Amino acid sequence: MVENNSYMNLPKIHSISKKILVGALGAFLSFFLLFHASANLLILRHDGGEWYNAFCHFMGTYVIVKVLEIGLFAALLLHAGLAIWLAITNKMARPKGYHKPQRSKTHTGSKLQMWTGILIFACLIMHFTDFYFVKIGWVKGKYMVNTEELMKMKATQPAAVSFAEQRGELSAKGNWIANLTADDKAVLQEAGVEVEPDFYHQAREKFKVLYIVIAYLVFFTVVWFHLRHGFAAIFQTFGLYNYKYSRAIEVLGQIFTWGVCLMFTTVVLLVYFGL
Amino acid sequence: MNFTLHIWRQECANAKGHFETYKIENISPDCSFLEMLDILNEQLITGSTPHSPLLTPHSPISHPVCFDNDCREGICGMCGLYINGRPHGNDDGITTCQLHMRKFKDGDDIWIEPWRAKAFPVIRDLVVDRSAFDKIIQAGGYISTTTGGVPDANTIPVPKHAADEAMDAASCIGCGACVAACKNASAMLFVGAKVCHLALLPQGQVEAADRAKKMVAKMDELGFGSCTNTYACEAECPKLIKRQNISMLNRQWISALLGRDKK
Repeated sequence: MVENNSYMNLPKIHSISKKILVGALGAFLSFFLLFHASANLLILRHDGGEWYNAFCHFMGTYVIVKVLEIGLFAALLLHAGLAIWLAITNKMARPKGYHKPQRSKTHTGSKLQMWTGILIFACLIMHFTDFYFVKIGWVKGKYMVNTEELMKMKATQPAAVSFAEQRGELSAKGNWIANLTADDKAVLQEAGVEVEPDFYHQAREKFKVLYIVIAYLVFFTVVWFHLRHGFAAIFQTFGLYNYKYSRAIEVLGQIFTWGVCLMFTTVVLLVYFGL
Repeated sequence: MNFTLHIWRQECANAKGHFETYKIENISPDCSFLEMLDILNEQLITGSTPHSPLLTPHSPISHPVCFDNDCREGICGMCGLYINGRPHGNDDGITTCQLHMRKFKDGDDIWIEPWRAKAFPVIRDLVVDRSAFDKIIQAGGYISTTTGGVPDANTIPVPKHAADEAMDAASCIGCGACVAACKNASAMLFVGAKVCHLALLPQGQVEAADRAKKMVAKMDELGFGSCTNTYACEAECPKLIKRQNISMLNRQWISALLGRDKK
């Protein structure tokens, strides 16, 4: 069939393209969320942060992960930015609204997607303040040193090594001296010892504070609403939500949403109750 | 039954509209919604239905209330009113003409508005211009060769599920309730239904991806919004057309994007 419509040749972003982009970025972020939730389960091990800190060390030092980290932040910003752009352009499709509010029977989460998205974005600032900003040095937290690295400095900096051993807690297998304070970090850094954030003790300390626990529970309720709608919407946007698999996608969506949110909240609650 | 009606009145496309309030009495519960509006119009013509001056600060419009209607049996797609926050009123799987007054309570306030969308401008009162749908169909909602008369049954093998799904999609009457219900005023369910009922059958498969591309481009050009994935369209469709049609439209559109329509 010959294309004779001039608008077909114009380079423009169609409504579906934007949706596909938002969906693809959403899928990427959902996978990251599952990965993050799985990793958080390591906090429940009573090993002085041996496993969890080893994981954080890997995540903080491996070059491919660092590149992916930039991609993750870009995806987050693009996902939010595109969704806001879509919302603004969609408003233009109905310049005059209805007098009576809409009463159509739709899922609550689907109507609130934009607002839950904004809330998640706001809550992420709290999450970053608690954890990520510690990594980049904007906020004070808990710190650790690698025992192997520390032992290499024993000949040149015996006082610093001794200081670290006295101030910190040795992990189960003895790979980390952790639970160091910001003041300890300053002393050790002055002596040339490489210090990393200790997210294990950081998390355990944060999750023992009631208002933080409540804030995280509210956060993951909002995340639940966002994922509950978003999961199936991704399949819908990619054209995979057909008559044959729609039920399976809905069930999978429920499992994924509940799974991710429960993994995160279980860790927070178990730490709060000292388990 | 007695009702207080708040009806959107607008002299013409460029005029500023407003709500006018009318009291209507002694309406039978078995009366259809459009018959109730007919009774109101008769009373407006004879001057027996007064406006409530407290609720109608504007100078009242004297002509009867204009609203679209034709078959009055739910098959033509002409009628379409936004009643108390729902397209076609408070019932599922019906058009406005199939809505009966027994669905309301005696003494109810009923707010009646036209479809609201940039692509559906108000012509007068409750009548909107839905020719945007015709333009979308003209952009690609057809098979561009003559496929002949009705073939004998099973001459062309069509799987049962494909025939059923195509038939369901083909039941779209183009009333515009999907656009009216969608918070983005998106026409994705309409376009999805029109793309699917052709794409699922052998005669329409050849041009399926190209058709999707052209119809979506036209939909965007006419000012409809993008899909919200809230499925208010599915909830309000009088023919109960499913969201799976939107998904299939997306699939066809992605196929077009990947160049499958060029084969």
